[in-house]
Amino acid sequence: MLFDESFLRKLERLSVMSRRAMAGQLQGERRSTKRGQSVEFADFRPYSPGDDFRRIDWNAYARLERFFLKLFVEEEDLTVHILVDASRSMDWGDPNKLEYALRAAGALGYIAMAGLDRVTVTVLGVTSQDSGKTDYFSPLRGKQSANALFSFLEAHLPIDPSPDHPVTQFPNRPAAQLQSYAARAQNPGPLILISDLFEHPSSQSPVTQLPIYQSLNALASKGFEVTLLHTLSSDELRPELSGDLKLIDSETGAEVEITADYDLLQRYRSGLSIWQNELRLFCGARGMHYVPFETSLPLEELLFAWLRQYSVLK
Amino acid sequence: MNFLTPLSFALTILLPVIIAMYLLKLRRSEQMVSSTYLWRRMVRDVEANAPWQRLRRNLLLLLQLLFLLAVILSLARPFTWAQGSGGEATILLVDVSASMAATDVPPSRLETAKNQARLIISNLPEETRATLIAAGESAQVLISTSTDRRLLLQAIEGLQALPVGSDLTGALELASAIAARQPDSEIVVLSDGRASLPERLALPGQVRYIPIGTSGENQAVTLLTLEGSASSENLTAFVQVSNFADAPVTRRLGLYADDQLIDAHDLEIPALGQASVISEIVPPETKIIEATLVEGDFLSLDDRAWAVNRGSNADNQQITLVSPGNRFLETALGLLPGVETTVLNMDGWKSGRLGDANLPTFQPSNLIIFDSAIPTGTLPSDSLFFVGPLASTELFSVTGTIETPIPKPAKEDDPLLAYADLSQITILDAAKIPLPEWARPVIVDETSGLPLLFSGEVAGQRIAVLAFDLRHSDLPLQPAFPILIANLTGTLLPGRVGDIPTQIKTGDTVTFTPLPEIESLKITSPDGTSTQLEIQGGRAVFGDTRQPGVYTVNWEAGPEQSRREGSLQFAVNLANPEESNIQPVENLSLFAEQADAENTPSQQARREWWRLLAWLALLLITAEWLVYNRATLAKLGNQVTQNLKRET
Repeated sequence: MLFDESFLRKLERLSVMSRRAMAGQLQGERRSTKRGQSVEFADFRPYSPGDDFRRIDWNAYARLERFFLKLFVEEEDLTVHILVDASRSMDWGDPNKLEYALRAAGALGYIAMAGLDRVTVTVLGVTSQDSGKTDYFSPLRGKQSANALFSFLEAHLPIDPSPDHPVTQFPNRPAAQLQSYAARAQNPGPLILISDLFEHPSSQSPVTQLPIYQSLNALASKGFEVTLLHTLSSDELRPELSGDLKLIDSETGAEVEITADYDLLQRYRSGLSIWQNELRLFCGARGMHYVPFETSLPLEELLFAWLRQYSVLK
Repeated sequence: MNFLTPLSFALTILLPVIIAMYLLKLRRSEQMVSSTYLWRRMVRDVEANAPWQRLRRNLLLLLQLLFLLAVILSLARPFTWAQGSGGEATILLVDVSASMAATDVPPSRLETAKNQARLIISNLPEETRATLIAAGESAQVLISTSTDRRLLLQAIEGLQALPVGSDLTGALELASAIAARQPDSEIVVLSDGRASLPERLALPGQVRYIPIGTSGENQAVTLLTLEGSASSENLTAFVQVSNFADAPVTRRLGLYADDQLIDAHDLEIPALGQASVISEIVPPETKIIEATLVEGDFLSLDDRAWAVNRGSNADNQQITLVSPGNRFLETALGLLPGVETTVLNMDGWKSGRLGDANLPTFQPSNLIIFDSAIPTGTLPSDSLFFVGPLASTELFSVTGTIETPIPKPAKEDDPLLAYADLSQITILDAAKIPLPEWARPVIVDETSGLPLLFSGEVAGQRIAVLAFDLRHSDLPLQPAFPILIANLTGTLLPGRVGDIPTQIKTGDTVTFTPLPEIESLKITSPDGTSTQLEIQGGRAVFGDTRQPGVYTVNWEAGPEQSRREGSLQFAVNLANPEESNIQPVENLSLFAEQADAENTPSQQARREWWRLLAWLALLLITAEWLVYNRATLAKLGNQVTQNLKRET
């Protein structure tokens, strides 16, 4: 099990926030863009033949001798999209980034399910060769679906904590998968992407032209309310390397030669903060939430303090 | 700049080797990271394609190259020519006499000489052996043919000006002896030239004279005496002040009696002349008088002089002679120095003894001589000398008379009989006294073996008995008589130190003969240090008279239970016109010819620089290590500051 009983009960106090009303599929608890049947008045509309005359406002007819329909806000459910980057670079660090990401996804999914929202989870970066694993959890709602969600996520937990598995020749491209996700998505809603955002730039293109940024742009334009949970482990934030090293990418096997001296580590740290600033600016400009955090942060603190502060949850 | 081993520059081929090692530095340990994304992003602008650019701004490489350069340079042993001594051996001769304490070249002449000596030492070539001779009252080799510069500098540091004359001749002889053993040596004389020099002295090697000092401005108290005056109670002090400067000066002279100012005079002293002061107002009880020239000149050592008064009556030994009248004995006692004799007849003695208020009580005496008289009642507790006793006393008993005894020394080398020849003495008769237990015989009758003179101690009381009446013998007419009396009184009187001069010069050795009974002698210097003197063969020698001032001799005599103590003072003054005359001598005639004969090239000395470079290399390699470990050091620093913050 990913969580214990008491933690789940605590999670029920939270709910996923949505900044604007979105159309849903079924009756739910969220304001929808549609007009429908609820107690909250929305608008008047002139009667046109065929309308249900039960909804005519007779008081208005008495004053104006014209038919007006009284429209109410429809309350529907919301589809919460959770995307977990499970590329090899995520399977790293202590505590493990992937495990952390899956637990966060489970907790967020449970929160949404408990709030009568539909939850769909997609695990990015998993090749189809990884037999027996599906990378898509189709939208489900209600607390009774939580177990299905948890078992789906557990299937993706890192099996071998030591990262000595063979390096794949053709790495998956989470960015490309995101793009296609944006293209396929039917019910845009809050979208939470949990990733370390490490990419493999093929060309010297400007930063904002990188695939990940384009994918995020595509998601935003589709109407998703993107929240970017940027997961980094402590040894990525503060690498403790020294001497002349040949660094090997755990994902691609690419090599970088460095002389890890004081200067270089200083530059690494400043480069990291520049990168995070870039992301923050990029997300801020597009109304996305950018939440950088370290995996040493307890999950509870992330959910109850950080995400509430960023108004992802309430 | 020249180099001793320019071949070392061949090592510069190591420089490209270091650079090549940097370029070829390819062996890297592999390290798996989650993603190289960030590293790549960062390294993109750093990791240039051209290896040359990697060398740019590489501090480590720069430091290593500089270190190697410094090492190579120091190995090449660069040197420059400097003013200094050449040759294979140098003999430094530093004058440490009183005149070197003059302060005309601040801080003092000796300090200037020391600085000069240090300069010479530091400019010496590496392999030159140096000898350091201090020329004080006697020449002293402090460091002999050493190449240890540290030792030499230490010895130079330890030089001190002594208030003594300078024996430059002895020092030069010593130096020439050392120079004769070492070819190609140079003798450097650091002096003000105020020294007695021989007319002609063959000095091997070259001699350099470095005069020290600029001014001869000095006045000195050259003479101070203190004497009793015939006309008045007061003592008379006589002071002579000499001016060694070229111009007349006015100095104030203060006279202190036992540290109390009693007299002051403003003296006008002509150039190179003298002025005298006679002060007749010195109180008679004065023990020490000091003459001081107030306000300094360049040499303060000779501005003070001391004299002690030992001749005052209080110090005299008192002898009471109880006699019907004995001119011989009175004359002999009158000859003794420091002795005051009171003559009484038996009636006078008795009345004094009985304490009759009408008669003047005589002073307590140290020795009572009973000549042909025996006191009634208890004997006094002073030292006693009986001459020709007529009756028994509690100390001895008279049993009869010996007719014409022949005197003979009981022991050959009795100190009481020193210098006294007894062979010519004729005696009419003597009292027959069996030798008491406490006594030892000094003179015995040759036939009967009975003592004619014996002495000894009873409970600390010294007693001597001469068995015959002086008027019944021709002893008083013999030369032996005053000697015998002097010996006897010397033994019987409470101990005296002996003959110590009242005034000596600094550096002089005091030799005196303490009386045989003196067991312990201690001399306290003006600065408070005490020296226990050893008495060897009846003589004591004290040579540590380098400080001007008043010395105190403390003595102890007698056995444990009846210890007698006393003290005595003597003054030590510089009073050395040669040293007080501090006018520096620019050229010593002795060296003039040699200085002319020598030309300058050999005055050049090599000064090596490799030490400096070696230090530089050490600094560079330390800096390299710090730069290499700066990440660790920065982390350590952070931890420390964090800990400090946490604590505060």
